[in-house]
Amino acid sequence: MKRPPIPTEAAFTSPLRDPRLTARIGTWLGIAFGLCFATGLVSHWYYLSDAPFFPPVRPIWGYRVTQGVHVLSGIAAIPLLLVKLWSVYPKLFGEVPVGRLRPLLVNLAEKASIAVLVAASIFQLATGLANQSQWYPWSFSFRSTHYAVAWIAIGALVVHIAVKLPIIREAYAAPLPEPEDNPLLAPVSGNASTRSDHGPSRRTLLRTALLASGVAVVAAAGNTVPFLRKVSVFAARTGEGPQGVPVNRSAQAAGVLASVVGPEFRLTLAHGDREVTLSRDQLASMTQRTHELPIACVEGWSASGSWTGVRFSELLDLVDAPADADLRIRSLQQRGAFGVTRIPASFARDPLTLLALRLNGEDLTIDHGSPCRLIAPNRPGVFQTKWVSRIEVVA
Amino acid sequence: MRTRLLIGAVGVAMGAFGALRLLQLDLPDVIDALLWLAGGVLLHDAVIAPLTIGLTVLATRVVPPRARVRVTVGLVVLATVTVTAVPVLGRFGEKPDNPTILDRDYVLGWVVFAVAVVVGTLVAGPLARMVRPGKEKPLTPSAG
Repeated sequence: MKRPPIPTEAAFTSPLRDPRLTARIGTWLGIAFGLCFATGLVSHWYYLSDAPFFPPVRPIWGYRVTQGVHVLSGIAAIPLLLVKLWSVYPKLFGEVPVGRLRPLLVNLAEKASIAVLVAASIFQLATGLANQSQWYPWSFSFRSTHYAVAWIAIGALVVHIAVKLPIIREAYAAPLPEPEDNPLLAPVSGNASTRSDHGPSRRTLLRTALLASGVAVVAAAGNTVPFLRKVSVFAARTGEGPQGVPVNRSAQAAGVLASVVGPEFRLTLAHGDREVTLSRDQLASMTQRTHELPIACVEGWSASGSWTGVRFSELLDLVDAPADADLRIRSLQQRGAFGVTRIPASFARDPLTLLALRLNGEDLTIDHGSPCRLIAPNRPGVFQTKWVSRIEVVA
Repeated sequence: MRTRLLIGAVGVAMGAFGALRLLQLDLPDVIDALLWLAGGVLLHDAVIAPLTIGLTVLATRVVPPRARVRVTVGLVVLATVTVTAVPVLGRFGEKPDNPTILDRDYVLGWVVFAVAVVVGTLVAGPLARMVRPGKEKPLTPSAG
């Protein structure tokens, strides 16, 4: 007896693989993808330097929440996607109507759209998950590629919903449970049962997928939700670090030497031809203010700190910067993007925005941006420039 | 049908925008991204899915029928949540100059998680029978 090497769709016999289950898991997966896409767009907007209008300065925890939701909804989608792919796997071996042109083309077009959807979905979840722990096993730029493929994934998802709408309607019209549905309580072998294999019901499998999704979120959420730090065994960060705050990139990684941020350090403020230079002692002799502000990074971690320093707008007044002028911030960092960034006037002039010298009651360590760093409300961490050396009025 | 066509057209437009953005990257990056896109599908369809089916067939032979539901629930939770932990378990993003990232014992965390799943799987059946004794009558043959 010779078995065919490739199974047919009918070779898969589990009664769980049914549109009633697939449609319901698909709905939850669609919600996770929708949340992830929307918050991803928000993050992309925060990163744009040439947007027609900028994100608001309040609430101070805005980016902390949207980026936390972005990463956690992506993690929530992973168990859901795996179970959903399991439920439709036999379709991969579905019969291709060779011979008649129109059905063949329709069939191939649908297969292609599914291939795009599955490829883009796995790609987005895998690259996002790796980025969360700063793992980059590829050569392409994470940000631009993750953004481009996000549109492909969500577009393919919308097409998929349009194609499957009649099946989804039918699936929701039918009840999910089988007649003898009895989650957790499996009948003992030999007793009456409507199922032959004593396996779980469709409802149980749906609940299991949701349970796994919830567990995955809790196991990762300590990155950004402080009270979950103890139970989040898979969070990429405990939230600990020098001066009580984690470090995204160390001074060593950014190419900042202790010698250049020592006593001879000078901060330069520039407005056209006017320049004012200040030492760290001069900055410390200005009025110091303390604000509680979060650092929230694109990787999905965030932590709150108590920052002390000079109000940013008071520094700008030293060179009579116009109130509506954007500023260019230069860092001493030698490596990596974002060494030079632009801060819109709305953030620069916000009363909470500081050029911080201290964190949680101590002078900044070099990894936190000593001698001075920017800290503003509601901005991605990468724009909270460390080792600030020059602030220029953008003409 | 018109609604579906409209929704489909919106989806095609969104996807086309993404594809154009992708193709605007440098050619080596485009090729690398395409390889990763195809690699994910291959990994699932040719490795993960057949492995899952193989393990399911094995489990149906090993696991006693009365525990099959609980074991399925436990294994699905264990396996899918473990997938979300692959980057931290492998510590691939570890940096010697930054001890604030990957600063947990993730293997220990996984063992604790796995033990919790196993314990949950073991007690779920008896617990459910205690809570809802009337719903199951497996020990009285007349009930069959």
